[in-house]
Amino acid sequence: MRTSRNVERRTILKAAGATAATLGLAATTGCGGDSGTSSDGTVTIRYAWWGGEPRTIAMKKSIALFEKKYPKIKIKPEFTDYLAFWEKFQTQASGGNPPDVFQNAVTFLRKYDKRGVLMDLKTQADAGNLNLENFRNGVLANGQVDGKQIGIPVGANTMALVIDLNAFKKAGVEAKFGWTWDEYFAALQTIQDKLKIAGDTGYFTIMYLYDLYLRQNGKAFFTDSDLGFTEDDLTQWWEDGYKRVKSGLVTDPKKIEQVSPKSGLSAGLAASEFTWDNFSIRYQGEGESDYGLAPIPTTNGKDTGQYLGSLMLSAFSGTKHPKEVAQFIDFMVHDAEVGKIMGYDRGILPTTEQFDAFKPTDPNNKGVAAYEDEVAKAGVLGKITPHPSGADVIEAAFLRIGGEVAQGKTKPADAAKALFGEAKAAFAG
Amino acid sequence: MTSATTPAVRSGNERRRTGSLAWHVGALLLLAVVLYPVIWVLGASFKPSKDIIASIDLLPTEPVWANFSGLADGISGISIGSFFSNSLMYAGLAVVGVVISSSLTAYAFAKIRFAGRNLLFTLMIGTLLLPYHVLLIPQYVLFRNLGYIDTLVPLVAGKYLATEAFFVFLMVQFMRGLPRELDEAAKLDGCGHLRTYWSIVLPLSRPAIITSAIFTFINAWNDFMGPLIYLNTPEKYTVSLGLMMFRDQEGISNYGSMIAMSLVALVPVIAFFMAFQRYLIDGMATSGLKG
Amino acid sequence: MTLVKEAPARPAKERSAAPDAGRRGRRRENLAGYLFMSPWIAGFVFLTAGPMIASLYYAFTSYNLFTPPRWVGLDNFTTMFQDPRWQKSVEVTLKYVVVATPLKLLLALGVALLLAQKRRGQALYRAAFYMPSLIGASVSVGFVWRALFSDDAVVDRTQKIFGADVGGWIGNPDYVLYSLVALSIWQFGAPMVIFLAGLKQVPQELYEAAEMDGAGPFRRFWNITLPMISPVLFFNVLLESIHAFQVFGSAYVVSDSRCGPADATLVYTCYLYQKGFKESQMGFASAMAWTLVIAVALVTAVLFWSQKKWVHYEEAAK
Repeated sequence: MRTSRNVERRTILKAAGATAATLGLAATTGCGGDSGTSSDGTVTIRYAWWGGEPRTIAMKKSIALFEKKYPKIKIKPEFTDYLAFWEKFQTQASGGNPPDVFQNAVTFLRKYDKRGVLMDLKTQADAGNLNLENFRNGVLANGQVDGKQIGIPVGANTMALVIDLNAFKKAGVEAKFGWTWDEYFAALQTIQDKLKIAGDTGYFTIMYLYDLYLRQNGKAFFTDSDLGFTEDDLTQWWEDGYKRVKSGLVTDPKKIEQVSPKSGLSAGLAASEFTWDNFSIRYQGEGESDYGLAPIPTTNGKDTGQYLGSLMLSAFSGTKHPKEVAQFIDFMVHDAEVGKIMGYDRGILPTTEQFDAFKPTDPNNKGVAAYEDEVAKAGVLGKITPHPSGADVIEAAFLRIGGEVAQGKTKPADAAKALFGEAKAAFAG
Repeated sequence: MTSATTPAVRSGNERRRTGSLAWHVGALLLLAVVLYPVIWVLGASFKPSKDIIASIDLLPTEPVWANFSGLADGISGISIGSFFSNSLMYAGLAVVGVVISSSLTAYAFAKIRFAGRNLLFTLMIGTLLLPYHVLLIPQYVLFRNLGYIDTLVPLVAGKYLATEAFFVFLMVQFMRGLPRELDEAAKLDGCGHLRTYWSIVLPLSRPAIITSAIFTFINAWNDFMGPLIYLNTPEKYTVSLGLMMFRDQEGISNYGSMIAMSLVALVPVIAFFMAFQRYLIDGMATSGLKG
Repeated sequence: MTLVKEAPARPAKERSAAPDAGRRGRRRENLAGYLFMSPWIAGFVFLTAGPMIASLYYAFTSYNLFTPPRWVGLDNFTTMFQDPRWQKSVEVTLKYVVVATPLKLLLALGVALLLAQKRRGQALYRAAFYMPSLIGASVSVGFVWRALFSDDAVVDRTQKIFGADVGGWIGNPDYVLYSLVALSIWQFGAPMVIFLAGLKQVPQELYEAAEMDGAGPFRRFWNITLPMISPVLFFNVLLESIHAFQVFGSAYVVSDSRCGPADATLVYTCYLYQKGFKESQMGFASAMAWTLVIAVALVTAVLFWSQKKWVHYEEAAK
């Protein structure tokens, strides 16, 4: 059986000719197109990230600083927006040609670790090329998987509730630390009654918010290899959510689609929305009102279930220049000047060197800093939720199936069942 | 019909005039519907960036120039002109490749009787049927191993090798429609296939060739997936990739400049279309050939 | 198989005349044929055949793009046929093909007939009608489509005049597919240009002769135009159907790669893309691709078979 399978595979590959045969090589050889060493010993490494223009300009400045300090290392920047970045990365990585260093997120860590794309940076740390000290609030753990350090955090962020300050004021309601879900929804009800707008844009399709809710109840969205809740849990969560869509407390999902890519909150369709705190700058840019960060509602009046998440830098396991790659990452997360240049664009700066060097002056950065400070002081920060391989697929499925519930197209119980089915396939993939 | 009396002529003229009026009214009405979205985009490019998304108004209340003037500064340190010249290079090379390789191939299918023609024709049609997404990664690996990543080669190689079956098939359909007497006459005159191809079939297939050229230009100009995957250096990005750089899922997207640039990006395509469409109109003097 | 039969057969009399010269001529023809075909053959061998065969092999494997493919036999196919999302994507695609293709072709042919008449400002009209197709699947199309088909926007208001209020098509699982259909119809420029080029080839004398015989415009269209442009019509029907089966761009523009809400615009290729690229299930995606190939090949074969009945080729006419 085994042999015939192999023979079959070989003949087919042969028939496919050079093109197909190269596929086998793709996984093993890791020669990047032009990331080589030139005759004068200058090393070029490819560095890719996603983000808008401000981030790119700051990155380019940071790169210039690095190249000044390490004249023998040249950084080749590659950048695009988030969606395009991952579309491109997937093809490059499966073609054996990902960038040497790239921006990464927790959701993708295990996925690409399982596929052998990510380098364990611990060896480089041991060799003295990368300093793993001075990370704040234990964020370094965000880049660890099975004892390997496959990502180095470049910032710390946490889930937050963004509110329309004017709407809250006009309705005479207030967001308080430690408020409960009941208090939160009661506040939304007041807003709906007084201002005739919905309270929230669709909280129950956000995987990361459900995770906080589960954590408040002693569970979590993921365990190391599975989902950390039951079908009944999710059915309940989605049933409550759909009830609130029908009563108008949560915005009609059609309306949300119609204003996208603007958020429902900045389009004035609701008074609050859950998102990551460092994304909050977009609301000022898109909307007409004033926006602020508010505490996550709780179950027991204290615990929000929050933790610090991170964007990180990861390195390609097949890079030809592991040492230089490590030196570059080290510079990007520890250099004080880089900290001043980058600011809180990717979250609160991760290391004490950078955190101490940057003092936010604009209201948005100040708001984010104050928020995370408050959360840290409240002592509610826990350990980050595990993200098994497939977490990215499940996040998308949660949003999609939750959307079907919101539209009234799928019953919550069937939807929960469907999510569990898809999760099983995603973990296996 | 037979007796050309004066009243008949006059009524014929009148009929023609009212017919012409009706034609213009009808065409303009249809155009109004078809162009409404285009006018919306044009109007949106003069709206403040904040007001573009989900705006149901056709025109801006107070037109602003900021979206266009913002383009002059480039994006993320790259000038808008660089995106345009990259796209022009890509589209230009693609057009030349498709016209040469597809017309040669089509001539063989339509005018030469060689062994295995039918099998190859079936294979060619077969390549139309496979969604290109599944070919993406094997092709990427091929070009990576050949060392052509971050160049235009992977984007245009297929164009020079007639892999765009759509155009081959389009030309085959046209060449098969050409009067058979023509190439038979050429054969009797002792013309080889190259001469017949070059001086008879190619000029007569001009509408199909111009059509293919126009489509190729537009496709290359709007191509997103190819450049995204094969081009790494932002300075080599095409317009379609440059547009995405105004988008920022985590911060403030500049939809104003995005839409302004997508309008400016239309200019070369319209120019190309206008320049070549008159050959479409002229077409060929079929009647002369027939007589 | 059908395709092979359809290509014009070589006339018998040519074969019987002068066997010697014939054989030499045939060899020369073969050589010429393959020389002219050489770019295509090179492209087929190096760029298309390899990846095609590879994807056929992947269809029978579990392949996440990184670890070597593992042979699973027909598993992908059995999983696929039972997958409710796959079934949904088939349903959405069929609906799209059946509605969008004929409407787009009718509009394209209608406008082409309109533009084929010699009128003042013809070139301008032609460019104007072609404008939507020049925009392609650009991001601005995504914006304008949202704006047109949202609640209280122009389409919704028009609809309300006729007493139907659905709150906009975008975001509405029951209607959003039709906004996609509308987008496809709106970009009718490609088939229109091909129709125009075909109309140019119709000899004017045929019309003059028909007019002499007292044929009205409708009969002239039916008896002359339609048969004369039938090769081009055939081309457009075939290609637009194939493209409709593979539609991706307009779905992406209207609802990005999520193709929602509630999978309402989950066209076949969008699901294939999600499986292959978002979920890294290249084996499943390849199985989907080849299932599509077979389905479209059947449609193509039927069309090729049918062309005997209605497509009029110059060379076959004799």
